[in-house]
Amino acid sequence: MTKRIPLIARDLRKLYTGFLIAAVVLFLVCSFLTEFNVMTLIANGDAFWEFVTEDFLPPALPKSSRIPGILSSVLVTLALAMSATTIAAVLAFFVSLFGSEKVSPFPRAARFVRGFATFLRNIPALVWAFILFSSLGIGTGVGFVALCITSFAFMVRAFVETMEDVSQDCVESLQAVGATFPQRVSQAILPSCLNGFLSWFLYCVEVNIRASTIVGMVGGGGVGLTLFSYIKSFRYDIALSIILLVAAMVIMVDQITARLRKEIMK
Amino acid sequence: MEAILKFDQVSKDYPNGVHALKKVSFEVSEGEFVSVIGPSGSGKSTLLRAINRLIPVSSGTVWLDGQAVSAQKGKKLREQRCKVGMIFQNYNLVYSLSVLQNVLHGRLGYMSGLKGVFGLYSEQDKQEALDLLEELGLEQFCYNRASDLSGGQKQRVGIARAIMQKPKLLLCDEPIASLDPSSAKTIMDLLRDMSQKRKIACIVNLHQLDVAVKYSTRIIGLSKGEIVFDGTPEELDDRTIEKIYGTSRENLMMGGTADDKADTVDCA
Repeated sequence: MTKRIPLIARDLRKLYTGFLIAAVVLFLVCSFLTEFNVMTLIANGDAFWEFVTEDFLPPALPKSSRIPGILSSVLVTLALAMSATTIAAVLAFFVSLFGSEKVSPFPRAARFVRGFATFLRNIPALVWAFILFSSLGIGTGVGFVALCITSFAFMVRAFVETMEDVSQDCVESLQAVGATFPQRVSQAILPSCLNGFLSWFLYCVEVNIRASTIVGMVGGGGVGLTLFSYIKSFRYDIALSIILLVAAMVIMVDQITARLRKEIMK
Repeated sequence: MEAILKFDQVSKDYPNGVHALKKVSFEVSEGEFVSVIGPSGSGKSTLLRAINRLIPVSSGTVWLDGQAVSAQKGKKLREQRCKVGMIFQNYNLVYSLSVLQNVLHGRLGYMSGLKGVFGLYSEQDKQEALDLLEELGLEQFCYNRASDLSGGQKQRVGIARAIMQKPKLLLCDEPIASLDPSSAKTIMDLLRDMSQKRKIACIVNLHQLDVAVKYSTRIIGLSKGEIVFDGTPEELDDRTIEKIYGTSRENLMMGGTADDKADTVDCA
């Protein structure tokens, strides 16, 4: 009688099998709950393809009188993302100093600062936008605040991590020299962490350019709002052109910030 | 001679239950070159950091230049810290800044808050820093980033920063533990010269027994947070060494002592 020699330990194999079964069960349960059915796509495939080929394609240009308005709305979206990220970064820098036990003059409060930031961050920008629109009304300013809140919270976390990674030793030495807290920040933390901060800032700009389009759609102004108005008036072909324009803009900004980040981290 | 530093029954307990120092008492006077030896975890680093209150003590008093530093806070504490230069095993420089900026950091404690924040050092301070760098043979690197230097050079910048404080006391936390033997000698020679020339008392944590014997005027042996030896290098005999390290001399790595000298010559 030949017995097959197992390649992995038996309990490990049981574990893998268990995981596989669990994953399949989870998928089945989830698709049942969402009432998603692969068959619907196939059954309604005609309507879907008709929509894509008839309504969406080919992309159409809006009236030439509208083009400058659309371009300027793209600029508004860019500006919204840039300014919101910049303001958020400055605020986040000062707050993050109090979010690290190793740097903050009040180490016991650091957990609460981080907890607060985590709380703010876990509410998506879109939800913030809706909350703010219902209380403050529609407008670019409110979109700005919504973006600011989330990117501020994100950057507080990122900046704290950067500081914890980099600067313990030199902070200790400046403490030994008798430097004050602001002196330690400007002479040790800032120089050693600046590159890391800038890199996170640029990443945040990337994220916010995408987010500001979405926040714009629900009322934050910019190209998002323009896009949404075309969709609502069933001009899907023009909407497609705007979508392509937005994609081009996002790709371009991604390229630029990625290159800048690479330069900075050298 | 007047005591610059006095430990009076100082204890330190960490929250995790470690008793790093147990009722330690000693005095250090001007011009002394004290080596603190002992195995890892014997409390050497805690002892050093208790002096400028980088680590607050649990009980007892640390007297620095006639004032109880262990009870001070805020501005008073920073003024006391100005009088104490510190040199670290890992140099603890700000590597993205220039060598000159790092040396000038020694002046921060003396400057008003905002001037220090923006790095507005006086011309006199800058000149002094340049002179000091020249004395240490680093003048051609003064505008290099600190990260460009070799280990020995970085430690010399660390010494320059400490000297810029015009300290009365120099604390060195294993200053040569990360250096090659030749750089280590340069650094130890420098520390001895600086402390003699400028009348600065020096407390050095060391792992290298032979170095401690060669350079110090006095050796303090720590074991499990207690001082088990306090005397001149000549008084440090095999029995005391055994008491400090908890193992006999043969089990210790030691270079350049009397017994090994013959071998070294043969090898050469």
